[in-house]
Amino acid sequence: MKLAYYPGCVAQESGRELDMATRWVCQALGIELVSFPSFSCCGSGFVDEANEVLNVALNARNLAIAEKAGLDLLTICSTCQGMLTLANLRLTDPKIRARVDAALTPLGIQYRGTTQVKHLLRVLTEDVGIEKIRAKVVRPLAGLKVGAFYGCHLLRPSDEMRWQTGEEPHAFEDLLAAVGADPVYYRGRVMCCGFPIQFVKPETASRIAGRQIDDAKAHGADAMATPCPLCHISLDAYQNQASKAVGHELNMPVFHLPQVVGLALGATPEQLGLPRHLVPTGPALAKIGTRAHA
Amino acid sequence: MFADEKLITVPFDVYRYDPAHGGEPRYQHYELRLAPHTPILTGLLRIRDEMDPTLTLRYSCRSAICGSCAMLVNSKSRLACHTPVGPEVKEHGRIVVDPMRNQPILRDLVVDQQPFWSRYEKMEPHLILDPKHPMPEGQTTAMSPAQVERFKETPRCISCAACFSACPAVEADPAFPGPMALAKLYRFVVDPRDTAQTHRLQKIQTEGLWLCLRCHLCTEACPKDVRPSERIRDLKELAVQAQGGTEAGSRHAIGFLHNIEERGTLNELKLVRQTSGIGGLAASLPQGVRIWRKKPELTQSPPPIEGLDQVKKIYSTLKDDKSEES
Repeated sequence: MKLAYYPGCVAQESGRELDMATRWVCQALGIELVSFPSFSCCGSGFVDEANEVLNVALNARNLAIAEKAGLDLLTICSTCQGMLTLANLRLTDPKIRARVDAALTPLGIQYRGTTQVKHLLRVLTEDVGIEKIRAKVVRPLAGLKVGAFYGCHLLRPSDEMRWQTGEEPHAFEDLLAAVGADPVYYRGRVMCCGFPIQFVKPETASRIAGRQIDDAKAHGADAMATPCPLCHISLDAYQNQASKAVGHELNMPVFHLPQVVGLALGATPEQLGLPRHLVPTGPALAKIGTRAHA
Repeated sequence: MFADEKLITVPFDVYRYDPAHGGEPRYQHYELRLAPHTPILTGLLRIRDEMDPTLTLRYSCRSAICGSCAMLVNSKSRLACHTPVGPEVKEHGRIVVDPMRNQPILRDLVVDQQPFWSRYEKMEPHLILDPKHPMPEGQTTAMSPAQVERFKETPRCISCAACFSACPAVEADPAFPGPMALAKLYRFVVDPRDTAQTHRLQKIQTEGLWLCLRCHLCTEACPKDVRPSERIRDLKELAVQAQGGTEAGSRHAIGFLHNIEERGTLNELKLVRQTSGIGGLAASLPQGVRIWRKKPELTQSPPPIEGLDQVKKIYSTLKDDKSEES
């Protein structure tokens, strides 16, 4: 399998551990990643709020780059997945299409609309397949209770994302079970992490993050795992603020999706960038008999 | 019942709470034999009529028109008259029914909708026609089809509050007006007969517009496909275009827009300065240092993407293009 790799901004900057883990897992599973240094940011939902058509045009350019190479596009961020999928849909509106074409055609960019946007979670559970991943597990995450945290834009609006239901998905839990972990079901798993208003009203953002972490904890989770690096920022890098907002220490290790898979497939914590996390993952790793130098 | 449809056993666990007569909240279990397509409301009314006359719920039309019977169905905000029992039993094995969230519980499944309505009223949800500036002579108040098209979804709203119940921003911050209130506000902002667009946009920018998380849970919950989260997005874009970066939220959106234009990719550190200014950057320093210790590339500027000139040209073509509004 060969895919155009769209890492998104955060995985190339403060969330590099996600890029490391993605590359490790894809190599282990025989997924060839083709990089394009010409990809731009997806706009992260913020550019969309300031100028919808400009945001669609930026993403049409990204989609055209993959189309030209004859590849579908792999995302590793729920927000990138949402923005690129929405661009594909909004381009079917003739009025938006005309304005986007007016910007792209003079640059020699033609996008026919054939690029499929696939998040890593979908590639792993559907294209690679749960059974193949289960067969490659060398270190089952037995006894580790993990609360999946999806990230809104991977799921919703569900009639536009056209994947699982917007409020009761199960792909991530299926994958967690396949690598030997015990998936924890809790309401917060499909809720917002608070990230979009981190710069608008930090105390509210932290209260929201804290609530979801508390919910996972109340349902017995030893750790959380997310397919979205923006959720990871809220849940891990800002967890100290979330703890303050809810009035007690949360101490919840938060994995990126490919880190959980990588651990089960035999990667070391260092290969997956676990020492870069703000909340130490050591207690969770100890449960599966592994140590990190962090 | 359809000829080929078999009855199934439907286990209900219904939230019961009657503060006037004391007692703690509890779940009461009932079982009914129902056809899978039976609405949950029909099941609840059968429970009330045949098994337990004390069960209290709000309903009226039974046809998804009046918006009275919104409640939680297996934790999702739904109209009970519009949600069949079959798929819920298949997915969950039972149907747990709770009162809506984000509103105080009065008894059983009935909530006090005051928080929902009071926020709605703050939107001034009516046409504002300025008597000092009457419609110019000869200008008709009739709208063109294109003008009506811009708010075709919002008149479908039946004010059931399912969106309000589903909203995590409402749950976390009383300053957020809620999805329905904002969707209705949008409807007046783009109504060509309304004369208070500037006033409405200025007011809402400081009164909660930017607290929307764009999680789209309201759009999932809405039984009428009003798509409140998308109307809120539209409001934000209108606010940015009309007023620029007057609030943290609009400054962040505009800052992000400029940030990407410079390198094609996000410069995380610079974004903080663009949104919060030097003062904000200083205030976030302790947290920044904490993160930087583990992730030192936070302070490095990312290299520009290849083909940045294309991105800049896209910006120059579309940055000020407002042809949609004409």
